[in-house]
Amino acid sequence: MSDDAELLERIRGGATDDFAEIVRRHQSRVFAILHRYERDGHKVEDLAQETFVKAWRALGQFDGRAPFEHWLSRIAARVALDHLRREKRRQNEIGLPELGDDALDWLRSDDEKDELNALGAAELLELAMRELSPADRVVITMQELESRSVKEIAGAIGASGVAVRVRAMRARAKLRRALEKIAKEKL
Amino acid sequence: MNDRKLKQLFAAARKETASVPSEDFAVSVLRAIRREPPAAAPAAISLFDLLNLWFPRIALAASAVIVLCLAADWGLTVAGVPGLSDGVSQLSAQWLLTPTGL
Repeated sequence: MSDDAELLERIRGGATDDFAEIVRRHQSRVFAILHRYERDGHKVEDLAQETFVKAWRALGQFDGRAPFEHWLSRIAARVALDHLRREKRRQNEIGLPELGDDALDWLRSDDEKDELNALGAAELLELAMRELSPADRVVITMQELESRSVKEIAGAIGASGVAVRVRAMRARAKLRRALEKIAKEKL
Repeated sequence: MNDRKLKQLFAAARKETASVPSEDFAVSVLRAIRREPPAAAPAAISLFDLLNLWFPRIALAASAVIVLCLAADWGLTVAGVPGLSDGVSQLSAQWLLTPTGL
């Protein structure tokens, strides 16, 4: 089976149908990235489609110096950022997600041995991250949940490395305060 | 909320599995791509665009020529050879300002 570079060369030469193979190869990663910012499966699918269509439009700009996967991940992060900005504008129309008792108990517990399940943790983070700006949220998500480097994050949000570091530090402090607020409010 | 607890929260959230793409997802992407309008042909380049494009290079080349002339003049003066300005004066005296001149 040909690698991404060969496939992309064929696609640039007019073999549009081969793009479906590119989609199949990278869809899981794109879905995983977008799921960090949107929990509704249908919306994730729409955002993933937007990511691939944008990649298709910009294919002429992909120079092959970095792996295609990295380039595509950057597009997905930008699509997520735009989505968060749109959602932020209509945040008041959207209800807050419900939190399970397990997540709240864990949040209030002082016992460090207490463990939280993945779903509870994701819901709790989703709720707390609503207090962050879209760019702060992308920075924290990429750094803490996707273990991306500062350079990658800077490339995705169009900022310098120093700006990303400062933003990450402030965002983490905001997130901590938001979690403390949730623990108190939901009593 | 201490750092340790925050790290614990991130670690737990990292384990969450993403939603799975539908089976015909790649096909629906292809369909969306086919609906895309064809890329617009590049607009013809006007003379103004060309000048805009070339202006910095022309300015740089002109500056380089001026610097070269000045350096040559200074070099000739230092070496005791008549400078460029002397040559120009000589030319004017011999050719341009004579009754049979240009």
